[in-house]
Parts: sequence; structure tokens; C-alpha cells
Amino acid sequence: MKSILICPGSRPAIPNLVETGSLATLPILGECLVNHWVEHLAALGAKEITIIAPKCAELVAAAAGDGARWGVTLKIIETNVEPTVDEAISHYSSKGAEGWLPAPFDVVSMNHLPGDPALPLFDSYASWFAAVSAWMPKALTPTRIRMSEVRPGIWLSSRARISPNAELIAPCWVGDHAIVEAGATVGPGAILEDRAVVDEKANVSNSWVGPDTFVGRMTSVMRSLALGSTLISWQSDSSLRVRDPFLLASLKKAPEAQANPRPVRARQSQLGFLASLRARLSGG
Amino acid sequence: MKIETQGTCLSISEIPELTAVNSAQFREKVRTALSDSPSVIEINLSQTRFMDSSGLGALFALYRATTPGNTTVLRLLNPIPEVQQLLELTQMQQLFEIVTR
Repeated sequence: MKSILICPGSRPAIPNLVETGSLATLPILGECLVNHWVEHLAALGAKEITIIAPKCAELVAAAAGDGARWGVTLKIIETNVEPTVDEAISHYSSKGAEGWLPAPFDVVSMNHLPGDPALPLFDSYASWFAAVSAWMPKALTPTRIRMSEVRPGIWLSSRARISPNAELIAPCWVGDHAIVEAGATVGPGAILEDRAVVDEKANVSNSWVGPDTFVGRMTSVMRSLALGSTLISWQSDSSLRVRDPFLLASLKKAPEAQANPRPVRARQSQLGFLASLRARLSGG
Repeated sequence: MKIETQGTCLSISEIPELTAVNSAQFREKVRTALSDSPSVIEINLSQTRFMDSSGLGALFALYRATTPGNTTVLRLLNPIPEVQQLLELTQMQQLFEIVTR
């Protein structure tokens, strides 16, 4: 059976997520959107999937590979603009022809996660977060052997490192190689993507922390999307590029100061004010 | 930066940024103005487009300077959403009365 996937192109409502390169390959609960869809279509019986990738074929190819892991063959076509479903049908398939998955899975525009058409991803940052949060229970597919629901509503990778003195509050998701340090609180409504680091006494709630993102000691990420040094409030739609890496930073091939949180923490103690702040907040 | 005293209210405004570049100057000017023992301090952040940890440190220093007697009201006026985000990230919104007028 065949199917076509249309990757999202530009989405003006969420410019800071578009900046990452491709919305199709932005990780959502450990897998990118295109891989969630390929897995879903493979489960429905697809064997040949054509992916239409507006200006992002290389990224999609790098993320999805050749499809062998799902037992499908992938063909990736780069376009300059994102076609509509009707345009894709007229160009790349013949409607009603045999050998295609039944509608609506013959041609899919990836504007939502599989099975959640009522939760659009790209209308706003708030809708993106709502859709991703709702996807948590569904993301635990049989192929995700390292993820498990360790307590009701708490999904944890066996490769994550959680301090015994950290607190996880359902619902939350902690991805591969994520680190949660002592005294930190993750949840409710928190998603830590792969390799995210939440340092000591930090709080993350109702928020998504992107891959390779460092949340600094004693900081509080609430109702936000944190991706590298960018902090987006999904509630107010405002975004902030945090200048101080000890508060929020990317851990991905970054300058020296961002590559390792430990030296950054030394700088923090030099500044000292956050420690005093903590004492004040706790009434000390 | 503009500092005005109206009765017992100290108003600080026209702060285009509060960063490592000008936080020391901010601290010094405000410290001098505190000698009049104002009962209300209002910092108008509506024009503040950039703030970093040095700026937050300056605000915190002001908080510390006014808390011993606990009689001074400390208000941040009209912070833009980005500055509000930074205050929340560092939990400093718990220390100040944040007012939108």
C-alpha cells in the first residue's frame, strides 16, 4: 500500500519553532513529526511512502532514513512550496486508484499528530503544546523499548538520569539521556526531550524543554517552550533569547561556556545573586 | 535614565536596557535617591527592551536595600512580555509587585 506525507513548510504563527530548520523534524517526545507519521502509516499497512518536503529534504532524509526500521520504503521529494492535499493528489497519486491506503491516509498533510486531528499543531504555540502534551500516552509505541510508564502518567527513558532527590509529577515525559538533578521538580505537564538537562532546584511545569537544552539551577520554566537559549511563552506568545547561559542554554555544539554546564555554574556562584534570591524566596 | 521624587514616591523610568553595561550606574543612582527614604519605589520598565542577569542583580540589590524595614513598596511597572518572562524564569516576580497600567 502507498501513501503520501506532506511536510509542513512555513507557519507564521510559530516563527521560533520554524527557525529550527524544519517543523517535520523537530523532535516531539523523542521522535520527529515525520517519523511519528511514518510509524503510524506503516502500522496501517503502508509499504511505500512518498514524503513531500518543502525545502527540507536533507533534514527529513537524515531523520527518517530509508524507512527500513518500519519495514517501509521512503521516497523523499523536495519542493519549493508546500502543496495542498489536492495538489499532491493530482501530482503524485491518482485518487481512488488501487494500492493506496484509504482516505484520509492516502495523502496526509502533517498538521496534527496521528490520531489527533482535533488538536492542530501549528495554529499557535499554545496549540502546539496542547497537541504534544496530549500525545504523551500515545507516544509509547512498541518500538520505543527504552521508554516506559514507571508510574501513572510518568514516562521515563531507561537512559535518563534522575536524582533520587528530584521530584517527578505526573504527567511528565523524560527522554533519552535527559538529566534531572537534585532538588529539581519536573511536572506536572512537563516534557523533557532527549538530552535535556534540568539542573539542581530548577522547576519545569506545563512546559516543553527541547533536545540538548540546559535549564539552569534554580530557574523556573513555566507555561513555556524552551529550546536552546530561546524561551517562548505559549501563554502570551512572546519569546525571549536568554543572554545568560547559566539560566538557559543550548548544549549542542555551542561555545565553550555553553558546552558544559559545570563551568557555567562556577560563573553563577560568582554572581551569587540567585543564591541570595533563593534564600529570600524560601524565607531565609 | 530618569529619576524623580514626588512626595514619598521615587519613580525611575526611561531605562532602555538594564544589563552589565549600565547596571552599576543604575545601582549607584538609585542608592543615592534612597537616602530620602521613599515609601514607594516605582520602576517603569515599559521602555526596557533588554535585561540580563546583571540587570536582575541590580533589581535584587534594590529589593535587599529596601526590605530590612519592610515598609517600602517596590513596584515594577509595565514590563514588556520578554522582561516578564525573564522575571518568571528567575522567580523574581515573587519579590516585586508587578503592575500593568
